[in-house]
Amino acid sequence: MISRTLYEQAIFDAIRKGATDIAPDVRGAFERAIAKESRPAAREGLEKTYESIQMSARLGNPACPDTGWPIFYFKVGNECQLEGGFMALEEATRSAVRRATREGYLRATMKHPLSGYDPGDNVGNHVPNFTYQFVPGADLEVTYVAKGGGSECFGGTRHRVVAFADGVKGIEKFVIDSFVEATRSGGICPPNVLGIGIGGTANIAANLAKEAACLRTVGSRNPDPEFRRIEEDLYTALNSLGVGIMGIGGDTSVLGVNVEYAYTHIAGICVAISSNCMVARRGSYRVCADGTVQEMASPNWFEGR
Amino acid sequence: MATYHLTIPLSEQDVEQLTIGDVVYITGKAFTCRSRLHRWVLEEGHPLPVDTTDRNVLIHVGPIVLPEGDGWKLISFMPTSSIRFEKWGARSVDEWGLRMIVGKTTMGEETMAMMVKNKCVHVSPQCVSPNAWVDSIRIEDVKLFHELGTIEATWHMDVHELGPFVVDIDCKGNNLYKNHESEVNERRDQALKELGIEPDFQYTKLY
Repeated sequence: MISRTLYEQAIFDAIRKGATDIAPDVRGAFERAIAKESRPAAREGLEKTYESIQMSARLGNPACPDTGWPIFYFKVGNECQLEGGFMALEEATRSAVRRATREGYLRATMKHPLSGYDPGDNVGNHVPNFTYQFVPGADLEVTYVAKGGGSECFGGTRHRVVAFADGVKGIEKFVIDSFVEATRSGGICPPNVLGIGIGGTANIAANLAKEAACLRTVGSRNPDPEFRRIEEDLYTALNSLGVGIMGIGGDTSVLGVNVEYAYTHIAGICVAISSNCMVARRGSYRVCADGTVQEMASPNWFEGR
Repeated sequence: MATYHLTIPLSEQDVEQLTIGDVVYITGKAFTCRSRLHRWVLEEGHPLPVDTTDRNVLIHVGPIVLPEGDGWKLISFMPTSSIRFEKWGARSVDEWGLRMIVGKTTMGEETMAMMVKNKCVHVSPQCVSPNAWVDSIRIEDVKLFHELGTIEATWHMDVHELGPFVVDIDCKGNNLYKNHESEVNERRDQALKELGIEPDFQYTKLY
């Protein structure tokens, strides 16, 4: 039985780590982008951003003040036993979000959609949000994602249903055109990690896109050759656009392109994109049934990628 | 492209000399504003709780500020996307007598036109480095904290050599991002071609 104290602390640590630092794979992507950038202004922008991220990790303050929607992904062992059960897990998560907000790791960003009421603690209807995956074993793995408003609200997250007649061309055109629109004037904080969901209902495609953007390791590849090819083609195409950091012009427009898919209806193919900010933030911890806790470099949400 | 170190309150002349691409650092008094405060003042008719005669720089930002002793401690500061305030942009420039908006992204035609008329510019950072600016900012006061909440409230800031920010809308009707757009559009056409997507590709209309 994993005690509530233990899993609540692990959830808090995932928030603290996720809000104040970027994962090793995102660091690697930053370093590669800096090394290859040929335009001085873009290079300086990338360097300053990376410097600030490293400073935040040292100081323990948010890597970006927009700490975004607090969203949580749990990988739950089939035999996992939690003190208080799963309702207590969600209550503990809300409690950890409140504490992280009080201590300045999260900005009080969540508000009522109509009145604008600010609860001041990032907790409200459907926020924080939870997604679960059930796996063999008795451990609990938690991943916190800070889903920024820039990349979410300014055109970086959307969907379209493409006819089978339009196929891969329709899918790729939608991605390229959407990305160009969204990065005009840098609203979505490029270079982004772009997630693409292909197939399923609109919400299935959108969830896959979000998970591909926020949980996949940057640089990982889809093992299916057809989807891998779409990833590679779009990565090259998007980086040829010259969007650059904050839309000012530069050699890197995306840090990564990750595609995930679901089977779809014979009537059409839903395509969804989700952009993650260049300051792509997530924090993952594993709470083992024996009471030990480990930080994880990657959520390993998609079978090794 | 030139670099300017400007002191607030900004004069008409301070602003007129600026052209898109120029770099500015600012020193003096500024205030923050997001959606809720725009609506509070411009739609709900409350007075703006800021004297903008000596504080004519508005910053689109939702900072992270924590209480410390009798005052406040600024933890994190990164200007936010200005385009979402476009509905109120022209009126804010006009009715509040602004000479500069510090934000992110861009603003629309109406605000740009008012910026030409009233002599005002929009500037943005070209990176996301919230730590870089914290030491250049002292929190003086906050208004409407209880009414609007911590990030929608208006923070009064005393800033010292705050920057570098790049002028992306000047008061001659130029917009830095518009100029960049044509390059990206050309490159998009080429990228689509390389993916084998014809320029006249039409989606099958499903709806």
